[in-house]
Amino acid sequence: MIARPWVLLGSAIVAGTLLAGDAVAQTPATRDAISSLRFDAIEFEPPTPDRYELEGVQILLLEDRSLPLVSMYARFNGGYGLFDRSWYAVAFGLPTLLRYGGTESMTPDSVDAALDYWAIQTSFGTGGGSISSTVNTLTEHLGTTMELWTDLLTRPRFDTAQIELWRLRELEGARRRLDDPGSLAFAEFNRLMYGDHPVGWEMEPADLTPERLTAERFREAHRRVLCRENLILGVTGDVSWAESRPLFERFIASVPPCAEPLPEDPEPDIRREPGVFVIERDLEQTVIVMAHPTSLNLADDPSYFAATIGNSILGGGGFSSRLLARVRTEEGFAYSASSLWTTPRRHDGLVGALTSTSPENAVPAVQLILTTMEELRDTAPSRAELRTAVDRVVNGFVFNFQTPGQIVSRLMLYLAEEMPEDWLERYVAGIQRVEPEHVRRVFAEHLRPGAMTILLVGDPARMGRSALESLGPVSVLDADRPRP
Amino acid sequence: MTRGRLLLLAALALAVTAAAVGRAAAQETLGERLPVRELTLDNGMRFLILERAGAPTVSFVVEVAVGGVHERLGTTGIAHLLEHLLFKGTTSIGTRDAERERALFARMDAVHDTVLHARASGDTAEVRQLLGRIDELEDSARVYVEPNELDRIFTEAGARGLNATTSSESTNYFVELPANRAELWFVLESDRMRDPVFREFYAERRVVLEERRMRVETSPAGLLYEAHLAAAFTVHPYGVPVVGYGSDLETLTRADVASYYRRYYGPNNAVVAVVGNVDADRIEAWARRYFGRLPRGEEPPPVLAREPRQIGERRVAIEWDAEPRLRIGWHVPSSLHPDAPALAILASVLTGGRNSRLHRRLVTDDRTATGVFASTGPGNRYPQLFQIDAVPRSPHGPAEVEEAIYEEIRRLAAEGPTAQELERVRNQVLAGNVRRLGSNLGLAFQLAASETLEGDWRATFRVGEQLQAVTPEEVRRVAAEYLTRSNRTVATLERRAAP
Repeated sequence: MIARPWVLLGSAIVAGTLLAGDAVAQTPATRDAISSLRFDAIEFEPPTPDRYELEGVQILLLEDRSLPLVSMYARFNGGYGLFDRSWYAVAFGLPTLLRYGGTESMTPDSVDAALDYWAIQTSFGTGGGSISSTVNTLTEHLGTTMELWTDLLTRPRFDTAQIELWRLRELEGARRRLDDPGSLAFAEFNRLMYGDHPVGWEMEPADLTPERLTAERFREAHRRVLCRENLILGVTGDVSWAESRPLFERFIASVPPCAEPLPEDPEPDIRREPGVFVIERDLEQTVIVMAHPTSLNLADDPSYFAATIGNSILGGGGFSSRLLARVRTEEGFAYSASSLWTTPRRHDGLVGALTSTSPENAVPAVQLILTTMEELRDTAPSRAELRTAVDRVVNGFVFNFQTPGQIVSRLMLYLAEEMPEDWLERYVAGIQRVEPEHVRRVFAEHLRPGAMTILLVGDPARMGRSALESLGPVSVLDADRPRP
Repeated sequence: MTRGRLLLLAALALAVTAAAVGRAAAQETLGERLPVRELTLDNGMRFLILERAGAPTVSFVVEVAVGGVHERLGTTGIAHLLEHLLFKGTTSIGTRDAERERALFARMDAVHDTVLHARASGDTAEVRQLLGRIDELEDSARVYVEPNELDRIFTEAGARGLNATTSSESTNYFVELPANRAELWFVLESDRMRDPVFREFYAERRVVLEERRMRVETSPAGLLYEAHLAAAFTVHPYGVPVVGYGSDLETLTRADVASYYRRYYGPNNAVVAVVGNVDADRIEAWARRYFGRLPRGEEPPPVLAREPRQIGERRVAIEWDAEPRLRIGWHVPSSLHPDAPALAILASVLTGGRNSRLHRRLVTDDRTATGVFASTGPGNRYPQLFQIDAVPRSPHGPAEVEEAIYEEIRRLAAEGPTAQELERVRNQVLAGNVRRLGSNLGLAFQLAASETLEGDWRATFRVGEQLQAVTPEEVRRVAAEYLTRSNRTVATLERRAAP
């Protein structure tokens, strides 16, 4: 079905050549109307946060007096990704237990009641490399709110009943991970590629034993991560530096200096050999994930910008990208299809693609994706394709400044990751310098369709065993249910 | 005291939008006094325009009052398929030669008519061969197609979030644009409303089948939901899945979709909300210029189906390769009924937060479940379900969880909630309302939904007052009246026994 040569050549190019005369003759009215539109220039000065420092802790402030509301942001470098496996569950659960585990002076229930009473909104989370929390309150309750938030973050109780509730929920979550073919596929793919590295870890019963989840161990993880050198603070809303400074001084006084530096994030040893893996499931749809390692990192570098734009053209740009246009729009194989290109600051990342399709179309979909990748290694994208990807970023620039919180959080991230403060401006400038040939070169160097590790979750009989073999030698993976 | 605080918070959030356009905005400004400009064109199309300060962006939401309830067996999924096809362009967008495309449509549609006969006679080889022929014809038409051009034009303009959703009674199309490009939306959206072309029809039908496989056929929660609604509603179309049944999706025709479009997509059946840092005068002028010339559409036929009173418990069981789940639904009136606020409070008393009755009982005390969630659905306009979803914790099963839920409901129906419980719950409901006002897009959705459902965008802001007025006795009464054994439908998912 996918052997129609013009599909593989790129229908736009072929058809465009054949029909150029017709298209010019027709000049549809709506296209004329669009090209005659004249847009006003946007007069917009993006707000810039003020920078302060207290006791070595950086603080970003963006005043916004339109509402009597204040938001505070705390980000601590350090998360489960920096510690060994025996700490995985504790470090992963730490933000949840900060919120729900009570404080030295308040039970978990009285924390809930206080947050309800003062109508305070909070969030606590981790991205593996950091732990973050935000709090939002009416200005008039800022003092009370800061006291409570400071206690939650710096004087946690780690109530044992709450730890146990969280432990039981995670155990059930581990059992249920296999219920959803998508989450099963992504978990197993990460394990396959990263092995015993934090990216490859999934929560297992062995991580969740009561011995590993004592209050003492939570306190130890808290001590390692929630200390002063790891901290960056932010504030937005109806508050000045003079008003917020004493609150931050008290907050920072409650955060002790770090007793020891954080460990280095572990270098992944990513699987490099190509391979085809199947997890057998009797399902009406097959989930497909494929990737191989890439050494390209996020940096102020032409290759990085070319890769960003290239990924958008390949499959990161939705309907304007090639994978969705072919796998979905032309073939009707799938509801979604996209590329992935992770570009960590350090260490290798992955480049690849994912989709879900009926079992009978699984192998043709894989082949179509691989062929689409090959083409971008061989032939530079058209200027029109490039323009679509670049214009999206340039014309949509204002969407980076929709709320003060978005602006301050972004700058906190840049500071934490030691990225240039003007990274967003550099990024927009960088992608505007990308030429079609740069995209071809970065694909030729970094994308190797023949080197993909391909994982399919579904029914191999319906995919066709010989069709599967055409992708390479097939290994069957056993994804057993964890049995606590 | 807490309640007062939250009300204040709600009022303040609304005050911002008023202050943004320089009107006098006292702190007690109510949502109903938002400076929303209302405009109804001669063809019946309604616009709600709200200027807001902030970054120079603008959100557009079009709500068309059509969805799963406007379908019949045999053509289920048509509202949703149509939503997909409305991204395929018009006689000018998405094509290089609409006339030649049309000629090929006629040829492939003729082949498709014979497919339906071959399907009926069970001739699978013939069906496959004919579908292959349709595929070839659609490929040859692709020579004339500018694929995904609508998306490309929006993307190049810097748009975010171009998408649409179809629910049981409404279909929403939405996008956000840099404010200076607002006129582009008017050009593209009025073109699409006037003149859609349902190109790439057969490929898109396959896409929707894949969407169904993803959302329903390989999802334990999706399977349970579909089976539960089908059992609970025997007459009303709330029981029919919005995504459609597989065999309907395989047989829907382009002609079905075209006539459905004519019936339900007149400008008189659409509400547009525009919220952002824009000039309302210019938005109004564009609305008149671009949409004013569209002819009024047919009057959509009303939904007259009425679910009979349920006269005995119904149970449905799914066996699947997954951990157990439980879903219980009781028939309750529509969201427009006077009992709706008490039912909303009831849902929060039962499962709103960690101190709610069912969370405390099942998750904290018994530890037989990891989550429990009450809601009403699947729509708002017609009599619906009060539904409870629960996730049992191994080794506990749905039966144990179900019994504990009934026990708590019996207690609530006998004693009613405490005043303290109600206070806590009212705060939560109101805080939720405040959060929804945070973004332009969120506000645009609310304005359009309220105008569509109640004929008044202000109605959404009256919900807070209605919830404040609910008494413990009303909560007790609705629990006792509706949450009865003979009025409920129970669906369970349990692990398939090993073969």
